[in-house]
Amino acid sequence: MVPASYGVTELDRLPRLGGLFAKGAAGSVTKRPKGAVRLPEVSYRVAGVDTSGEAAHLAAYQDLLGEPASDVLPAGFLHVLAFPLATAVMVRPDFPLPLLGMVHLRNVARVLRPVRLGEALEVRAWAQDVRGHRRGVQVDLVAEVLVGGELAYQGVSTYLAKGFTAPGAAAPGEPADDGTRPEWTAPLPTARWTLGGGTGRAYGAVSGDLNPIHTSALGAKAFGFPRAIAHGMYTAARALAEVGPALRGDRYEWTVEFFRPVLLPSTVDVAIRPAGDGLVYDGWRSGKGTRHLTGTVTPL
Amino acid sequence: MSTTPSPVPSTREAVIIGGNRIPFSRAGKKYVRTSNQDMFTAALEGLVARFGLQGERLGEVAGGAVLKHSKNFNLIRESVLGSSLAPTTPAYDVQQACATGLEAAIAVTNKIKLGQIESAVAGGTDTVSDAPIVVSDRLRAALLDANHAKTTSAKIKALLQIRPKDLAPVSPSTGEPRTHLSMGEHQAITTAAWGITREAQDEIALASHQNLARAWEAGFFDDLVTPFKGLTRDDNLRADTSLEKLAKLRPVFGASLDAPATMTAGNSTPLTDGASTVLFSSREWAEERELPILAKFVDAETAAVDFVHGHEGLLMAPAAAVPRLLARNGLTLEDIDFFEIHEAFASTVLTTLAAWEDEEYCRTELGLDGAFGKVDRSRLNVNGSSLAAGHPFAATGGRIIATAAKLVSAKAKETGQPARALISVCAAGGLGAVALVESTDNAA
Repeated sequence: MVPASYGVTELDRLPRLGGLFAKGAAGSVTKRPKGAVRLPEVSYRVAGVDTSGEAAHLAAYQDLLGEPASDVLPAGFLHVLAFPLATAVMVRPDFPLPLLGMVHLRNVARVLRPVRLGEALEVRAWAQDVRGHRRGVQVDLVAEVLVGGELAYQGVSTYLAKGFTAPGAAAPGEPADDGTRPEWTAPLPTARWTLGGGTGRAYGAVSGDLNPIHTSALGAKAFGFPRAIAHGMYTAARALAEVGPALRGDRYEWTVEFFRPVLLPSTVDVAIRPAGDGLVYDGWRSGKGTRHLTGTVTPL
Repeated sequence: MSTTPSPVPSTREAVIIGGNRIPFSRAGKKYVRTSNQDMFTAALEGLVARFGLQGERLGEVAGGAVLKHSKNFNLIRESVLGSSLAPTTPAYDVQQACATGLEAAIAVTNKIKLGQIESAVAGGTDTVSDAPIVVSDRLRAALLDANHAKTTSAKIKALLQIRPKDLAPVSPSTGEPRTHLSMGEHQAITTAAWGITREAQDEIALASHQNLARAWEAGFFDDLVTPFKGLTRDDNLRADTSLEKLAKLRPVFGASLDAPATMTAGNSTPLTDGASTVLFSSREWAEERELPILAKFVDAETAAVDFVHGHEGLLMAPAAAVPRLLARNGLTLEDIDFFEIHEAFASTVLTTLAAWEDEEYCRTELGLDGAFGKVDRSRLNVNGSSLAAGHPFAATGGRIIATAAKLVSAKAKETGQPARALISVCAAGGLGAVALVESTDNAA
């Protein structure tokens, strides 16, 4: 739920990512660490988002990620749908962190009821909970999708902005924050992804996220990567697709934590295994110990 | 989730009269530019000649191919029309990856048992040498768009979508569509999970070659194989192979795993071309024609495993199917005289045997009270299997059924006691088909 202190800004429609990126790129230059980070206390809201025209977009998404053809929108697609609104929050002049160069650390999404193609949606997005990280600050971008006033989807994307300072002390006890992670050995794989050099452009085309670090080697070099890197959400959404509708059910939680980025082209070994009430997945560079991501898919 | 098996309903018997296949040949050798239809027709025609079926209207011919061109939509019917069987013999195509041949046999024997047909042929054929090559999805989409377009400009616009890289042809692969791992890589994972050694796999491979060579020398295949294209024996057979030679081969699967890679070209089946057929009938039909009755096709079971979500290895479905089949028939592993376990890889046989000996696995995965049991190795693939003969995917089931039927027939004649063979075939998609073949009173 939107924090009570936040104001609501109504938009007529979901913004277009292209324009936002241009604005974000320009704004990124001026957003430098100075003092403690303060988030704008505002939530964006678009009511009446019509999904009836999304059939071709959904089909392209399903085809790329390996989701079966269905009129139920997968959580990854809802993330894509709401992403421009969250981005609009991040490119506000009073949002203190630079859009470009922020690192996606983890994502937690919950589907609380199936969302179907053709349903009218209300989409909300805001930023909250800025807190310390050993390399800067982390912040949650929250996106919600409601159908008929009922919360159907909530996604929390946690980003790192390096070099910034959080208000107050660093949050204790976050395993991703103290610089040490438990030893990890690759399990036996259950699948292998051969990701070509065009993987970032292909997911960019269906997600609208044409951030240059994903679409070109030059763009990636500008941010310190030797080659273009795969969208983290592409890898997570592909794992979600491979778990599949039968095992995740109508209502499910889908989490991911990102480690080293996937440099393209690359071969990623994947293990999807039963764990607890759901499934856990891992992705790492084939033949190496380089860990890329881990996450869970749990029916609710 | 295991349920008590229903008793086998009483039906009439489906008997195995005999089999015929062409020699299996390594891909790219003798059968280059020989189609699936050519090979299946040759195997079928040999069967017709062997049992005097010229002009006969059989109840049905069923079979298939795994690597199949879309133009072969009626592959088996076209083969029947090209054979000496009566053109009034119906036919249909079956496809269940490597279990195609066995599944075809299950289908036609069930019809015989139910009295819907009196006689049938089941089999399969596959060629890697003449495999269909298709165009890329992008080229296909552009061509279909152009085809559907109504105006010339729309047709041109559709064709302009085509990029040079879209023109590269696409060859069939043995990769699993959902995991993108080849079958060999999948089995390498299962092999690592069960800790199967290189030595144990090479021993299985050696035994396969030695057993198949001995069977050929003894004339076992004289009434099971018709020469084709100048080939009289399976040309993958290496009678002179040895553990030393097998030990020299480099591993080809599992190189990216932490566990040592153990699977080589020697202990994995090669890509092979070939075709096989088996003749089944009711007892009455065989007796009326004074045809030999080798054995009964008693019962069968299929299974599948969830390999996509790491629950089980790709080729482990038979490990689940066999206990269900034997329980339904009131049998245990000790009651089986011949184990015909398809050697997709030597380690497939070994992981299956290991699973049945593992108490924990049998309890949690198979729903049994304890370990299923130990297979007497002296009863395993006694006349060789796919590692030596080769494995033209859909043709393997027919090869095994004919071998099993001959083995139980001979054993029953020799001992005066009924003899049983268990057939187990793993398949892509996490599938498995298994069957029980038993000698008949005639033979005993």
